[in-house]
Amino acid sequence: MSPNRRQFLWQAGGGLTGIALSQLFAEAATARHPGPHFTPKAKNVIMIFLPGGISAIDTFDHKPELEKHHGKATTGANTITPFFGKPGALMKSPWAFRPRGQSGKYISDLVPNIAGLTDDLTFIHSMVARSNAHGPALFQMSTGFIFQGFPAIGSWISYGLGSENANLPSFVVLPDRRGLPPCGVANWGNGFLPAAHQGVIFGDQREPIADLQAPASVPPKAQAASYDLLTQLNEEHLKANPGEDALVARIKSYEMAARMQISAPEVTDIRGESEATREMYGLNDPITRDYGFNCLLARRLVEKGVRCVQMYNGAHFGAPRVNWDGHEDLRANHGKQAAVLDKPTAALIRDLKQRGLLKDTLVVFTTEFGRLPISEGMGEGGRDHNPEGFTSFMVGAGVKPGMSHGATDELGYKAVVDPVTIYDFHATILHLLGLDHKDLRWYHNGIQRRLTDVHGEVIKSILA
Amino acid sequence: MKAFAAFFLFLSLLTAQQKRVFWAFRTPVKSQPPLSASNPIDGFIQAKLKEKGLNPAPKADPRTLIRRLHFDLTGLPPQPADLSRSYEQTVDTLLASRQYGERWGRHWLDVVRFGETDGGEHNYERFFAWPYRDYVIDAFLKDKPYNQFIREQIAGDVLEPNNPALVAATGFLVAGPWDQVSAELNKDKNLALQARMDELDDMVTTTFHTFQALTVNCARCHDHKFDPIPTRDYYRLADVFQTVGFGTRVVAAQDVQDDWKAKTQPIRDRLKRLEAALADIELPVKAKLLQTKYQDFDRSREGAAQRLPINPIWNRNFFAPAGARRFRFVITGHQGKVPKLERFMIRGANSVEWGEWIGKRKATDENPFIIELPFSGRFWEITWSCDRTRGSTDGAITVYRFEASDDGFKWRTVASSLDHVGANELDLPIVETQELIDNLPPEQRAQRLRLIDEIARVKAELKAVAEPAKLYSAVPKVPAPTYLLERGSVSKPKEEVSSGTLSAVSQLPTDLPKDQARLALADWIANPKNPLTARVIVNRVWYHHFGRGLVNTPSDFGLNGDQPSHPELLDWLAVSFMENGWSLKWLHRLILSSQAYQQSSQHDEKAFEVDADNRLLWHMPLRRMDAETVRDTMLAVTGNLDPQYGGASFMLQKKGDAGSYIYQALDNDGPEVWRRSVYRFVVRGGERIMLDNFDCPDPAVATPQRSVSNTPVQALTLMNNAFVLKQADFLAKKAEKQSKEDPVQQAYQLLFQRDPSPKERELAAKFLQHQPLSLYCRVLMNSNEFLYVP
Repeated sequence: MSPNRRQFLWQAGGGLTGIALSQLFAEAATARHPGPHFTPKAKNVIMIFLPGGISAIDTFDHKPELEKHHGKATTGANTITPFFGKPGALMKSPWAFRPRGQSGKYISDLVPNIAGLTDDLTFIHSMVARSNAHGPALFQMSTGFIFQGFPAIGSWISYGLGSENANLPSFVVLPDRRGLPPCGVANWGNGFLPAAHQGVIFGDQREPIADLQAPASVPPKAQAASYDLLTQLNEEHLKANPGEDALVARIKSYEMAARMQISAPEVTDIRGESEATREMYGLNDPITRDYGFNCLLARRLVEKGVRCVQMYNGAHFGAPRVNWDGHEDLRANHGKQAAVLDKPTAALIRDLKQRGLLKDTLVVFTTEFGRLPISEGMGEGGRDHNPEGFTSFMVGAGVKPGMSHGATDELGYKAVVDPVTIYDFHATILHLLGLDHKDLRWYHNGIQRRLTDVHGEVIKSILA
Repeated sequence: MKAFAAFFLFLSLLTAQQKRVFWAFRTPVKSQPPLSASNPIDGFIQAKLKEKGLNPAPKADPRTLIRRLHFDLTGLPPQPADLSRSYEQTVDTLLASRQYGERWGRHWLDVVRFGETDGGEHNYERFFAWPYRDYVIDAFLKDKPYNQFIREQIAGDVLEPNNPALVAATGFLVAGPWDQVSAELNKDKNLALQARMDELDDMVTTTFHTFQALTVNCARCHDHKFDPIPTRDYYRLADVFQTVGFGTRVVAAQDVQDDWKAKTQPIRDRLKRLEAALADIELPVKAKLLQTKYQDFDRSREGAAQRLPINPIWNRNFFAPAGARRFRFVITGHQGKVPKLERFMIRGANSVEWGEWIGKRKATDENPFIIELPFSGRFWEITWSCDRTRGSTDGAITVYRFEASDDGFKWRTVASSLDHVGANELDLPIVETQELIDNLPPEQRAQRLRLIDEIARVKAELKAVAEPAKLYSAVPKVPAPTYLLERGSVSKPKEEVSSGTLSAVSQLPTDLPKDQARLALADWIANPKNPLTARVIVNRVWYHHFGRGLVNTPSDFGLNGDQPSHPELLDWLAVSFMENGWSLKWLHRLILSSQAYQQSSQHDEKAFEVDADNRLLWHMPLRRMDAETVRDTMLAVTGNLDPQYGGASFMLQKKGDAGSYIYQALDNDGPEVWRRSVYRFVVRGGERIMLDNFDCPDPAVATPQRSVSNTPVQALTLMNNAFVLKQADFLAKKAEKQSKEDPVQQAYQLLFQRDPSPKERELAAKFLQHQPLSLYCRVLMNSNEFLYVP
C-alpha cells in the first residue's frame, strides 16, 4: 500500500503526505507512527500531575535564607506580582527540612515517604511556566501551549509511538477520584490529532471505561451474537465495496472493542494483588485509598504496555479546595493534600523499581507552577502562584538518579541557574521515549505543529 | 513603501519551490474548460483524468444519488417516500429546506470555532451566543450573498448598530475561547496586556484563516517564514480589532428598551410578588426538614474525616481542642450576594456552650465576626448557619476560616472550608416535592397550587411582550494604541502602528481609515479584486461535497498548504461565483449537476494505482458520517427528531456546582434534547459525550477539516451507549408497527431505503430466533452501511 493511499484512507482529509497518519491505536507494529526516531531509553511514561500548584519551597527546594528572613517585607528586582495582587512578607516553610539518603539533600517533612527515595530522583529546580493563571499554565504543562485546544503530551506520544498492547488504549488518564482537574478534559484532549490518540479515562472495577460493557439488559450471549451478526453484515457490505480499507479497519475496530471488553476489566481487577502491596499503596487507609488505587493501576497499566498514563493528584476548584492551590492556608491545604499524595506515590516508585519496571518506565512528577516565598496578604498563611521558579522531578528510565538540575535564587522567587522551560521539559520527555521533538509534527491550519511549538532543548545533563 | 520594497526583496530571495506559493495571490483568471462538457466542471475534471489515461466512474444508481444528496445537503437520511423524487426535484427541495441551513451552517461553525462557553479555568457559559449560530444557519438558508455574509460578520455592528441580526453576526469575532481569568482577574499588568494581545490575535487569526486561508498569526513574532507577511502587517491588522471586546449586550435603541421596561414593569412586579409568596410557603418548611436531615446525616457520618458540604442551613465543624477566649469567623470566598452569618454556637469542655442568634452579621477580612467569651475555655466544636430559616443559596460561602486567639493579635486557624466535602462528592439529603406537600398545612397546599398556576400564567404574559434581544457578540471597547512588539513580547513595544492590511495583496490598497477600520477591512476582504476570498469559499464548498478540497488545506493557501489539484477549475469557479452574485446555492447547483458528483463510488484498481488519493476524482469517495449526522440520523429514522428550527440551545452538559467549573454530562436523554445536534449547547472542554468519539471537535480551535478516526472506543460507544440502545429500541417498535409480519424489511427501508438481500434476510432470521428485534436494530445502526455514505 503506498504511503499516499494509506494517508488518505486513515486520515481522510487532514494533512500532507508523510506528515500525518491516523490509525487504530492498536497497530503499533505498522509504520503508521513517525517514531521512534532513535533508540528509546523509556518505553512508557507515567505522569503524576498536581493541579493547583504544589509549592517547591515547602517540599523539594530547601531555602535556608527564607527561614532567616521570615517576616520581612521584600523589595527589589526579584519580586513578582502575585496573581491576586496581595503581596505579604516573606514566609518560611511550616515544615522542617532534613537531609535525606546518601546525598544528604534536604527535603521537607511534608513528603516523608517520597523523601525516602531522594537518591533515586532527578530534580529539576528551575522550572519556568509562561503564565501565573491556572488555566493557561495547566494547558502549557499538559499541551505545550497556553491556549486551550492543543493535543496533550500523551496524545503526541501515542501518535509518535502507538501502543504496545492491541487491547488497551495507548494513552490512559486517571483523574483524582474527587473530581476532574481544573479545565477538565481539555488537559488530555487530542486537539487536532485524530481521536485515536485521545486520553481514555479509566475508572474503577465497576466501569473501567465509559460504555465498555453493554447494560445489564443485554446478556453476554446476546452481545456475542450481536458482534457476530455485525461482522457478517459488514463482510457482505465489504463484498459490494471492494478496495475500501476504511471499511476493513472499522470491522477490526469492533474486534478490538470486543477484546477490550475483556482486557480492561482485567487491568482494574486488583484482587490478585498481595496484602503487602495493598498496604504499601495505602489501600487500607480511607485517606490514601483512592489515589493509592490509581497508583497501583498506573503500575498495572504500564505492565500491560500502555504507553502513557497521566495521573492526577488533586481535582478542580471549588469549596473546599481539593487541589494544591493553597491561597488561604498553606499548612492546612498542603498538609491535607500531601497526606493523600505521599505514601502511594512513593509506593508506586518503589514498586516499579522492585519489579524492574523502572528500567523501561519514566515517571514524571509535575505541577503547573509553584508558590511564592511570601505570604498572600500581610500576616496570612497562604501562598500565591509562582510561575518563575518551581520544581519537578523525574525518576526511572534514562535519567540520572540522585541529581538536581538548576536552581532558584536564595529565596525561591525565580529560576536563576539553568532555567528549564516547559518546552525543554517536554522535549526531554519525548527524547527519553525516542522521539525528536523537532520531528514529531502534525500539520494543522497552515502550521507544522509540535508539542514544543518552535522552542525546546533537551536537558542533556540529566540524561543517564 | 518600505513594506512594499521588503516584499519584493523577500520575493527575490525565494527559491523556485517557494515561489509556487504565490498562485494564491495572483488574480484568478477564468479560462475555457479544456474539454467541452455540458457542465464546465466536468470539462476540467475529465481533461485531467484523460491526461492520466483514466475514466470517471459510471453514474451511481438513483437510490444512492438520492441518499447522497440528502446526507450531503441536510445531514439527514431520506424517508422511504423521498426516493420517488427525481434528482433535480430533490436538489431543489433540499436546498430550500431548513435542514440545509442547519447542515451547512454547522460546517461554517467548525471553521469559526463557535463555542458557547469561555473555555479555560472558569469556562463560564455564554447563554446568548446562539443568535450567532442562528444567524449563520439563516444566512445559508436564505442564500445571503457571500460578500455580504463577510461584511456582516466582521462589522455588522458598524453597519447597523440597532439591528439585532447584524450585531449577532459579529458573534463571529468572539466565537472563540476567551481567557477571562487573565483578562479580568490577573493583577500582573504585563500578563493582562498579554491576554489582550491574545484576544486580538484570536480575532486576526480567525478572520484570516476563515476568509483568506492565511496564517498571518505566524507574523506575530517574526516575519512569516513562508508567506509574504511581515510582522508590521500583523500588528496593523491587530489594530483593526482594538474596538472589539467580549461580552453580552442588549441590542435595541434606548426607547425600545425603555418601552419594554415600562410595558413589563407591572407584570414583572406581579411575578416577583407571586414568587415571593410561593417561597414564603415552601422555603421555611423545606429548610426545617433539611436541617433535621442534615443533622441526622452528619451524625450518621460520625468519625468521617470531612464534614458535610458547606450549606446555608446547618454546618458543624470539629477541631483539636482549642483553649482561648477569642475566636473569629472570616468569609473570604462566596458566590452571589455577600453572605452573612446568622447563627453561631461553640461547644467545649464541661458541656460549656456558648451560642447566639446573631442576626445577620458580616464576616469579611476587614470586618470579621469576632466572638469574645467572658471566660477562657477549651472548645472543639462549632455549629453555624447563614440562612437557617429559608436556606437561600444566593450568597453561598465557598471559602472561610475560623480562628482562635489568646491575645487578639495572633490568630491560628482551627476550622475552615477545607474541613468540608465538596458538594459533588456527597449526595446530601433533599426534600422531595411530595414530602414538602405532606408537611404543609392543608390550606397552604391549595394556596401553593394556586400560586404555581398563577406564576405560569404571568410568565406566559411576560413572554408575550417581545424582549429586546440579548446577544453574545462584539461589544464596543475603547481602542488602546497598538505597538509593534518585538518577538511578540508586550514588554518590548516598538513603534505605534495604525490600522492596515496585508501588503502582499497588491491588487488593493493596504491602508485602512482610522475610523471604521473594521468595516474597511471587511470591504477589503469582500472586494472582488481580492484574489483569495472567492477561491477560499468555493474550495470549502467543494471540500464538503467531495470530502476533499481542490486545495486540501481549506484554511491554508500558503506555502505550507496544499497545491490546488485543478488550479484552472478553482479559478473558473471563483470568478464565476462572483459573477453569479456570490451565491452559494448557485455553486451547489453547479457542483451537484456535474457528472463528477454523480459518479459512483466503485473501486477501480487501475485508477487506484495511478491516483490512490483520488485527487483527480476518478470516483466518489465513500465517506463516514460526521458525529452530528450519526446522532441526528438515529433520531430521524426512529421519528424522534424534534424539527424545531433555531432558538436557545439544549444542554447535554451542565456546569458543576460549588465553584467547580467542570461540565458534566447530563443524564437527560429524552424528547427535550432530541433536536438536531447543531442546536446543542457547545461546551469547550466538557466531560466527553458520544459526539466526541466521532471526531466532533472541541471548538477551542478552528476545525476547517474534521479528522475521521476509527477506534475501539468509538465502537464501544456505538454498541453500548444508552442513547444508541434506546433509539434502536424505538426503531424496532416503529418497524414492527409498520409491519408486524416483516419488520426487518421495514428497518432496511427506514435505514437504507432498500429491501434486504436474501443473505441478509437469512442472517436476520437466524439472529431473531434468539434475540429481540431491538438488538437487531442496534446492529444495523452499527453497520458500515449505516455509517458510510456512498
